[in-house]
Amino acid sequence: MRSRAYLGELEQIVLLALIRLGDNAYGVPIRHDIEKRTKRSLSIGALYRTLERLEEKGFVSSRTGDPTPERGGRAKRFFRAEPPGLQALRRTRHALDVMWEGLDLKRI
Amino acid sequence: MPRKPPRLACFLVRDEFVLGDLVEEYNTCGRSDAWFWRQTWSLLWFARHGEKPERKRRVNLLNDLRTDFRYTVRTFAKNPGFAAVVILAIALGVGANTTIFTLLNSLALRPLPVPDSRRIVGIYQIFRGNSPRNVNGEASLFSYAEYQKYRDQNRVFSGLAAYYPFFRATLAGETPRDLIGELATCNYFGVLEVRPSIGRTFAAGDCANSSHVVVLSDAAWHSVFAADPSIVGKAVTLNRLQLTVIGVTPPGFHGAQISAADFWAPLPIEPQIDSHASLKDDNLSWLVLAGRLKSGIALDETRANLSVIARQIDQLHPGRTTTLSVDVATFMSTPEERRDVLTVAKVVFAAVSLVLLIACANVANLLLSRSSARQKEIAVRLSVGASRGRLVRQLLTESVLLALPGGLLGGMAAVWLLKPLFFLLISHFPSDIPSLSLDLKPDLTVLGYTLALTLVTGIVFGLAPAVQSSRPDLTSALKMEGSGSGPHGSRGWLRSVLVIAQVSVCLVLLISAGLLARGLQSAQTIEPGFRTDHVFSLKFDLAQQHYNEPRAAAFHRLLTERAASLPGVDGVALTTVVPLSMESWGSQITVPGRPDKLEDRYTMVSPEFFSVFGIPIIRGRNFTPQEMNGNARVAIVMESTARKLWPGQDPLGKTFIDDEKQPPVEVVGVARDSYTHSLSELDSVFVYFPLKADTQVPLKLVVHSNAPAAQAARSLRAAVRGIDPNVLVDLRTMDQNLDMYRAPAVMVTELSGALGGFALILAAIGIYSVVSHAVSRRVREIGIRMSLGAERRDVLGLVLRGAMRPVLVGVGLGIAACAAVSRVLSDVLYGVSPLDPTAFGGVTLFLIGVALVAKLAAGPARHPHRPHGSPA
Repeated sequence: MRSRAYLGELEQIVLLALIRLGDNAYGVPIRHDIEKRTKRSLSIGALYRTLERLEEKGFVSSRTGDPTPERGGRAKRFFRAEPPGLQALRRTRHALDVMWEGLDLKRI
Repeated sequence: MPRKPPRLACFLVRDEFVLGDLVEEYNTCGRSDAWFWRQTWSLLWFARHGEKPERKRRVNLLNDLRTDFRYTVRTFAKNPGFAAVVILAIALGVGANTTIFTLLNSLALRPLPVPDSRRIVGIYQIFRGNSPRNVNGEASLFSYAEYQKYRDQNRVFSGLAAYYPFFRATLAGETPRDLIGELATCNYFGVLEVRPSIGRTFAAGDCANSSHVVVLSDAAWHSVFAADPSIVGKAVTLNRLQLTVIGVTPPGFHGAQISAADFWAPLPIEPQIDSHASLKDDNLSWLVLAGRLKSGIALDETRANLSVIARQIDQLHPGRTTTLSVDVATFMSTPEERRDVLTVAKVVFAAVSLVLLIACANVANLLLSRSSARQKEIAVRLSVGASRGRLVRQLLTESVLLALPGGLLGGMAAVWLLKPLFFLLISHFPSDIPSLSLDLKPDLTVLGYTLALTLVTGIVFGLAPAVQSSRPDLTSALKMEGSGSGPHGSRGWLRSVLVIAQVSVCLVLLISAGLLARGLQSAQTIEPGFRTDHVFSLKFDLAQQHYNEPRAAAFHRLLTERAASLPGVDGVALTTVVPLSMESWGSQITVPGRPDKLEDRYTMVSPEFFSVFGIPIIRGRNFTPQEMNGNARVAIVMESTARKLWPGQDPLGKTFIDDEKQPPVEVVGVARDSYTHSLSELDSVFVYFPLKADTQVPLKLVVHSNAPAAQAARSLRAAVRGIDPNVLVDLRTMDQNLDMYRAPAVMVTELSGALGGFALILAAIGIYSVVSHAVSRRVREIGIRMSLGAERRDVLGLVLRGAMRPVLVGVGLGIAACAAVSRVLSDVLYGVSPLDPTAFGGVTLFLIGVALVAKLAAGPARHPHRPHGSPA
């Protein structure tokens, strides 16, 4: 097992956003989805940095889409969560669940 | 229609897809340009640093600092000698600079010691044009009429005061005393916001009624009146005018001038206490102006407002243009004083900066040799992933950490030593010069200066070595081939330049010190051309005692007779000017047959003058008693003057004109040359005139007595008291006068000697470190040479030759530089040439000697015998 098989918080958030968005997962909607749900702002630099790291680890893949006029004729780059990414997500969630089990922060 | 996002930002975002995302959101969501820039910035930031930049970086910086700090302390603890040398070098440099700066700060930068002193403004005038002006003190001062105009017409001051500084008055008493005071307008204390510690200060009525009142300084109250608690209301007599003491100023207040004032009297009583008509002279410079700005008024506004008044006054004086100097008042704010201070400060600061420069070169050199010794460590850190910036930062932290204790030490030494040093320096002057009210305590300005100097020192001179050493050749450094870059590599070059700089700068300082020492020697041995031992001069305050001319003449006549009859006295003379007394009278003369007007200095003497001072009349004759009484137009000139005015001719019987309305003056005698005005040069034209019985200028009595000095002085004072007990006598020996003239030379020589000594210590350390480093880097080479049969002597020569080269280059540059600048010292060299070969040669040899010793100590002692056994 790779040593960094667990995911950081932002990595989890981005992966989950990719899954939600499905075929329409490129920069603009990913950021909007995350900002809308988590109510926290995410700079494009931070987003792409995370996506690139996930891609390096083989957790996501990307493909080039069609250019559109509102992008000044530039192509989109669509991202998709890959099976190792989904596994890592599950593993991370499991680890968190295990650690949370039986704990109640209100009582501490 | 899509909008255009900022072009530069688009250019900076190099990824097409990302840029597409940005442009899309910019267009579809109506984002602002600022938003676009923020996103661009985040991309650039993440591209460099990874996740969560700001917080992580800040933590890193702090962590790094802490690590660097600990690391530095540990390294220096392991190598305390190195740290001590560096700290000492910086302490010397910073200390010397701080000392001089503190002095300058106290003299000329610090505002007056009164409440809210930044609002006290000093005003001075600078005249242009050729309108004549009477001057008492300095030309930049004001007349009373001018003061009144500025006072009444300005709209920037809440109050404007005027005072006549350095007013000498004789305090009557069992032994009369000479006090220095100020005659001030009655708003003086109000403007300065000085409240009395007892009694009161001036009220407006004191000036309106010309009240005979006086305010004493706390110091004078203690020293003159023994802190008499019931002093207020008592009468004191100043210049035979009875005044009532109304109050005492708080401790620490000495007036607004550098020399402490003992008392303040209202300006309107000037005619009675000073017996001049200064108040009525509308064209006399004699009053200092000090105003307190209204709140909210800036200096620019003040200047504008006052210059309007200046222009109005100019209209009354055709041909005159006045510009005003308006600044926060300090102890030295007249344009004349500022010019003098600036001139001296420039030279002194140049000298101390050179010392700091040497110190810095030294530190740089030491750091450099250390960092090349640490090449392996640095290479290891680089190869395990330390960035170059990180390494430079660490090395810089080290040098700043070294600089800080150095600066602290230097600053503290400066604070502690300044006062004793200052008093040591001024102790060369006779003890009766007016006391100075200097506050030599450092303030925030000094602290800031020292801190800035220290940090700059640490950074600038840590930077070069840091940048250089963070760029090693990894492979060879890791193999510990110390000589990777070779003796002629770039680092060797930088080190040589540092040595050259150190040696040349040090030589400049040392030669200057040597020249000054030679000048001092010359001043000590210089023959003033007249006898100085057993000669006394006596000065009286007859004018302040309201003597008129016949009374003064009678006084002089009587005193001359009585002094001549004292035991041991074999000569008494009267003169207008005592030689080397800082006083001189000058005029212009014309010589028939010469077109130009010549500046001359002259003195009027009685015939006995020449015998009292042992000045021989080498041609012609002395004045006769008849010439003292009649209106004889005769003169005696100095030998050199005769040669100058009538070269190759007999001066006797020649004439010159000193006053167009009078017949020409005939030369009846030639006296041997003597230095009467300056010890460093003879006056180009010097003339003795016979003293007329009705001469109005204050006369001095000069006496030659074979009696022991103390006894002679006592009996002379008694003789004066016997004639008028109220007259104040200023009695000096001519040796005291001579000391006064030698004092500047002694001071300058001590100062430059100390600086030269500092420089020498630093340069020797520098040379030592360079040579020892050169040797340690060539240990391997030396080992090979020796195992191949080279003699110890050969190796020694090899190392020395290599290391001596920069020293010799530095010596050459230093000599050239010093020859170029040494002329500025000629005023205090007393006849020694600015290119004096003794000083240049001696000092140069001395420095080379020191360099050799440093090299010998550094070189063979440690290394050449070691390679035999060591794995070099």
